[in-house]
Amino acid sequence: MEAVPEADAPRARQGLRQRFAHAVPWLGWAVLALLLVAPMLVGGRYIVYLGTLIALQAALAVSLNIVMGYAGQFAMSHAAFYGIGAYASAILVATVGLNFWLAVPLAMLGAGVLAALVGYPALRYTGGVHLALITFAFGELARLVAANWDSLTGGPMGMRVTYAPGSFFGIELSSAKGLYWLAAGMLLVCLLVTAAIQRSRFGRALVAVREDETLASFLGINVVGHKLAAYVISSMLAAMVGCAYGPTMNFISPDLLSAHETISLIGVLILGGIGTIAGPIIGTIIFFGLPEMLRVARLWRLVVLGIIIVVVVLLMPQGIAGVLRQRLERWKRGGR
Amino acid sequence: MDLIQTLLDGLMVGGLYATVAIGVTLVFGIMGILNFAHGQMVMLGAYTAFFVVSAGFGFWPALVIAMFAMGTLGLLLERIVFRYTLTDHMQGLTASLGVIMVIEHLAAAAFTPDPRNFEPPLQGSFQVAGLTLSSQRMLVLALVVVLVVACYLFLQKTRIGKAIRAMGQNRTGAALVGIQTSQVTAVVFVLGSAMAGAAGVLYGSLFAITPYMAAGPLMKGFILTVLGGLGSVPGAVVAGFLLGIAESLGSRYLSASFRDGYGFILLIIALLYFPRGLFGQRGKVRV
Repeated sequence: MEAVPEADAPRARQGLRQRFAHAVPWLGWAVLALLLVAPMLVGGRYIVYLGTLIALQAALAVSLNIVMGYAGQFAMSHAAFYGIGAYASAILVATVGLNFWLAVPLAMLGAGVLAALVGYPALRYTGGVHLALITFAFGELARLVAANWDSLTGGPMGMRVTYAPGSFFGIELSSAKGLYWLAAGMLLVCLLVTAAIQRSRFGRALVAVREDETLASFLGINVVGHKLAAYVISSMLAAMVGCAYGPTMNFISPDLLSAHETISLIGVLILGGIGTIAGPIIGTIIFFGLPEMLRVARLWRLVVLGIIIVVVVLLMPQGIAGVLRQRLERWKRGGR
Repeated sequence: MDLIQTLLDGLMVGGLYATVAIGVTLVFGIMGILNFAHGQMVMLGAYTAFFVVSAGFGFWPALVIAMFAMGTLGLLLERIVFRYTLTDHMQGLTASLGVIMVIEHLAAAAFTPDPRNFEPPLQGSFQVAGLTLSSQRMLVLALVVVLVVACYLFLQKTRIGKAIRAMGQNRTGAALVGIQTSQVTAVVFVLGSAMAGAAGVLYGSLFAITPYMAAGPLMKGFILTVLGGLGSVPGAVVAGFLLGIAESLGSRYLSASFRDGYGFILLIIALLYFPRGLFGQRGKVRV
């Protein structure tokens, strides 16, 4: 007698599929590691510089994803905190004379306090609309302050940055490659914070708040506290990434804080897949990487970006990573 | 005397804010579409007026053409994009961010970033009881009052105005009693966009026009919508005048470079202590 009943063969195949599906996230991390090392191997100065910029943008998108993707709150102030981080660290290092590695936590702390002050009044209400309004206004205000406070920020003409971050536990960071590792390190920090949040009780509570605030409050979740924590963490990470901006570009201007930067970050998130770990990175590579390789003029890139945002919102609101995840789930369960 | 002069200046600027705020109130407060591209409509309205006036047609045709053009653009946007995002605030907001990028960068390419001005219909100033009043600013104030009253009467007295208010209270209920919600939404969008166009013309007759002028009026429009109470047209208007006066007093007696900051402070205070705004009827949902 044949011992294997007919139904077992598909089940065995399904087991294999499930094991493979579980490996996909690890595969993703491996691809990311390859991508991060690639600019070092390819070598050219421009490639390294480009890699630094893309890593910074990806780190920003990943950190924005915490408040938008997981907590479901619309924060329009991300670029403002990025700029605040850049200005604060530059002022602390160049004017006050602190060590770069001391300036980073101080800038993050300042950004966290500001975020709590701005976020609390708006986040007390259900639905993210108030946060979107107040953070938009805050971002504009921050840009105006940066442009008008001449004595501290250099006004609309911007501020020259001449210092380099000191070595980090013996790793030299002042060269172009060193700055690349700084940016890549910040991207990894943002990713690890996101992964930690996703796996924690806090992260699951955030998703519950995103899906239904009333229901979440019935489960004993402190809704306002969770939303505020997500906003503060996300803004602090943005400030951290901002600290690397000054030494990379050697120049900070008030335009860095403008709402447009936040808008393109939101576009990146939507395209890549909001509320997923891989989404912000996929989105960043497509938005900033591909046009750079194709050498499209900046103007048309931004116009096309706008059209893509609208189309993706209307037709594919879960984004590329969201669609991939859906496909993977279906395939794991035996579909095609 | 100085105080009265400052108050009057505040009233005039406040009138401009109120015009933007009415458009935002209609589209966001009543329809629930958080359209950040409203500021871009103000900008395009100002440019329309600039080109019409430069072509030699004068201010009044420019006002009408700008309102008509922006109304048409609003209709297009509503039909193509925003009718599909009615049920989801966040989706509509994100879509509007995409629209902003398209409009603003195309405008910057087509119109160049140089600031523009057009000849206002009235120039100079006149004296009343020791106060110096700019003629153009008085005309703007008068036009704002006309627009506001017309909009208010339209909402209160006409059949479609009633339908709009009914939808603002309860969309499902309005659909149940036979209101064509899809058409009414389009009407609201056209009306709000036309108001944005008018606001743009008035802005342009007083200030410089650039492709990046949108953020300021938009930010104030949103602040006023919350201050006045979501969905309340009189609230938005009163809040607009109050904000104008507050800014004018603040920049006269405190500091002029943080002029745009006073509205933000008002917004935070309002959200903390008066979450319903001036005339808001609906309470905010809190968990």
